[in-house]
Amino acid sequence: MIEITTPEVSWIAILPELVLALGAVGVLLVEVQWKPATRVLGAISAITLVIAIFFTFLQWAQAGDALEVGGLDELVAFSGMIVMDGFAVFGRFVLLVMAGLGLLAGWRLVERLNRRGAEAIALVLLATTGFSIMVASNNLVMMFLGLEIGSISLYILAGLTEEKTKADEAAMKYFLLGSFASAIFIYGVALLYAGTGQLEILAIRQFFTEFIVTRPAVILIGLALIIVGLGFKVSAAPFHSWAPDVYQGAPSGVVGYMAAMAKIAGFLAMARILLTAVPQLDDSWLPVIAGISALSMLVGSTIALVQSDVRRLLAYSGVAHAGFILTGIVGGATTGMLFYVTVYAIQLIGAFAVVAVVSGPSSSGSSIDEYRGLARRSPALGAAFAVLLLGMAGLPLTSGFVAKFGVFSEAWANGYGWLVIVALLASVISFAFYLRVIVAMYMDETEEEGIVVSLAARWVLTIAVAGTVLAGILPAPLIDLAADAFSL
Amino acid sequence: MLTWLIALPVIGAAIVALVPGRLKELHLPLGVALAVLPLALAGYVFWVFEPIAEYQFVQEAVWYEPWGISWSLGIDGVSMPMVLLTAILVPIALAASTSITRRTKEFVVYTLLLEAGMIGVFLALDLFLFFVFFEAILIPMYFIIGIWGSDRRIYAAMKFFIFTAFGSALLLAGIIALAVTYADQFGSASFALSDLMNVQLSTSAERWLFVAFALAFAIKVPLFPVHTWLPDAHTEAPTAGSVLLAAVLLKLGTYGLLRFNLSLFPEASVDAAWIMGTLAVIGIIYGAVVAIVQPDLKRLIAYSSVSHLGFIVLGTFALTSGSLQGAVIQNVNHGLVTGALFLLVGMIYERRHTKQISEFGGLQKVMPVFAGFFLFMIFASIGLPGLNGFVGEFLILVGSYSTLPALAIVAAIGVVLAAIYMLWAYERVFTGVPDKEENIALSDLSIREISLLAPLAILVLVIGLYPNVLLDKIAPSTEALLDHIEEQTEFVIPEPGRLGDVLVAGGDHE
Repeated sequence: MIEITTPEVSWIAILPELVLALGAVGVLLVEVQWKPATRVLGAISAITLVIAIFFTFLQWAQAGDALEVGGLDELVAFSGMIVMDGFAVFGRFVLLVMAGLGLLAGWRLVERLNRRGAEAIALVLLATTGFSIMVASNNLVMMFLGLEIGSISLYILAGLTEEKTKADEAAMKYFLLGSFASAIFIYGVALLYAGTGQLEILAIRQFFTEFIVTRPAVILIGLALIIVGLGFKVSAAPFHSWAPDVYQGAPSGVVGYMAAMAKIAGFLAMARILLTAVPQLDDSWLPVIAGISALSMLVGSTIALVQSDVRRLLAYSGVAHAGFILTGIVGGATTGMLFYVTVYAIQLIGAFAVVAVVSGPSSSGSSIDEYRGLARRSPALGAAFAVLLLGMAGLPLTSGFVAKFGVFSEAWANGYGWLVIVALLASVISFAFYLRVIVAMYMDETEEEGIVVSLAARWVLTIAVAGTVLAGILPAPLIDLAADAFSL
Repeated sequence: MLTWLIALPVIGAAIVALVPGRLKELHLPLGVALAVLPLALAGYVFWVFEPIAEYQFVQEAVWYEPWGISWSLGIDGVSMPMVLLTAILVPIALAASTSITRRTKEFVVYTLLLEAGMIGVFLALDLFLFFVFFEAILIPMYFIIGIWGSDRRIYAAMKFFIFTAFGSALLLAGIIALAVTYADQFGSASFALSDLMNVQLSTSAERWLFVAFALAFAIKVPLFPVHTWLPDAHTEAPTAGSVLLAAVLLKLGTYGLLRFNLSLFPEASVDAAWIMGTLAVIGIIYGAVVAIVQPDLKRLIAYSSVSHLGFIVLGTFALTSGSLQGAVIQNVNHGLVTGALFLLVGMIYERRHTKQISEFGGLQKVMPVFAGFFLFMIFASIGLPGLNGFVGEFLILVGSYSTLPALAIVAAIGVVLAAIYMLWAYERVFTGVPDKEENIALSDLSIREISLLAPLAILVLVIGLYPNVLLDKIAPSTEALLDHIEEQTEFVIPEPGRLGDVLVAGGDHE
């Protein structure tokens, strides 16, 4: 009798991803077999997300226990491929919630796509799977796999409309530039491997504590390439030029989701590599990140000033936000950054939900003129958009202010006072373009009719606005969570 | 209790917002009624307020422990008059807004929210909380100017917002820097004013922080040369907006200089006193000269504000008992008088739909009551003895003379200039024979309008005749501030400048 011992697998480390992947497959199979109403598919995806979120709670508890009793090794699973630290679990949780909001916001689009709606749902779930793996990976190749699963799903989503033209162009652009960036990223990983002999993030950190590298050129080039690749994914300047075109061209129902997911995963991955793997090299990368951050803030907020399309405006504001979030990494801590990414993702999805309502879920482009007098035509919709924009601008009593305050304080305490001053000036510039939209909504008159807001969109907006205001007035719970969610 | 001062207007705004839009006539009266509640509470606070140096009615609740931010409110002799002023002016400004027929409900909601923010700024003892209110005020004011203003309202609203937001950004940088330094030195985070006063700063750090704070507040005041947003915002804003802007919002700047710059950065304040004083005096003269040639009544009053607020800043940085008390009381005086003047201009604008001085003439004959009120307020504004403007300007000028004599002398020219532009404007608008046809048919003030102006006029007279009603409550706090400055620096306030001297406050101080 031959005994076959199976290696012990701690399945819980990837349960959320497993559930998501199964859900995606399930949606496709059910669609092929029974061709049910879209509502049924929506229910399946909702159940999938709820179960996955439930597992993140279990993971959170386990990660907390491991911290207390000291079994940190247990959090590294699958031979060092995956970690289940608070950082990963927090990121997963946020991604899952955003996926839920994104599906709700894009529901009108899914309904319009008819039989292809199932594809959209499955792609959303798959993209979530990929990015979720990305934030939880302890291995750079694993991280690349997650990045690609997520990105490729997003490329397809960008072109998923009933009519072609603009969305196709956006998808093509996103695909070409995106895969180029992925290639740069993996090349960076290869060089980092060449320099250290390690692919695991924790092992790389170990490497730097044990050895002093006298000629770090290869490692630094590798790191630079990784920063460039991820900088592209999060649309930080000067790697941002794709974002306005893609945001403008892709169907408005999915843009918010696309942008939010790529940003969350990109920033978390960047923080994990820079702050966990190579903190010893911070003399080299801190100035670079600070430079990218300053450039993003200034470029994003000044170019946004002259945009006449709300989506391009939001795209450039996203460039500026990438800069703001990077000040958190410059601050050398993850708390402020995690908080910022979370609240910004909610605002982004909410804002694009408004765009989808105003210009239609599969439209490309939405001129600022469409928003004239919106506060008169649809007071609730206008007020929701105003709150979200003010939140992005970072006015007090919104989550955006707390977020900015958090990352700026961290950066200041870490000796980057000049960056904080640049950031504050960029915030002032950014007020001007957020206010332009508000001017159009509140101070211009129009004769047009009110807009009917679908139930799903109402839910998204209610959650986004409530989140923005609540996290602005009572930020303590979310900051505490983010503070507990540090990386191993 | 102080929390209620902030909560009442917010609750009021919520109530008004819930009233259905079709009950249009109800919004404004309801708003006025709801704005009277905070006034009653503020009146009570004034009544039981004791003339001591410490903060009173202090309330503290931890907001977020690890960052050291807390909801901490308190009131002292510097903030109490401002809270009272705000609470008095909001119902009056609302009641004067009957000409706003479009989107009345929103207007009332924004005004009440504005009131909550303004009171919050004056009560906050935590710098984070202060900043939250300071910045939150921008939004309702922005909407008030931008929606109900006149032709160039959007430009003016934008200019107002960007200017002040720029100042706020510097202020925030300063607050962050101060709090980070505090955390370094004391090992725990705090934004409380009383804690941050203990931070040991190097001279250069203190000067940089002083500049950051001072610039933020100077934009708000507005001090020359960052005053350019003010005439636009004032001119384009609706009457209620102009009233609150002039009477309260500008005071955020002078209040901030007095409350934060002097107490947090005493060394730098003493060093920079002559710079701030010089800028203030330039503002006094410049504002007055420009006011002389303004063809538009509202613009004229706006520039007169630049001039008058220069006096307050001069008084603040002259650092004597008299000048500081004068600065605080002048905050109130300017609020009452300029508020009333903007109300008056608003009333004539509703009748004639113009603010151009050249369009008027001889109004005295057709609107004697209106002319009477106008002249009364003009006299108060130029500092006629017996009215409130005299008390403030006199205290400031006499107080400043012992520390900044040259500046005080130049500033005195501003008083003369004020008489010129105000009286000349009065002459052109009111005296002579009404030659324009539109002017002959004008109706005089209604009972409603008189009842709005009368309380302000009475207060002007009361403060003018018996300033100690306020000064007694102000003095302990300003004295404590001066003690703090003397303790922290080598600066000694020259002998005639301290309290107990004959010069101070009408003479009946023991």
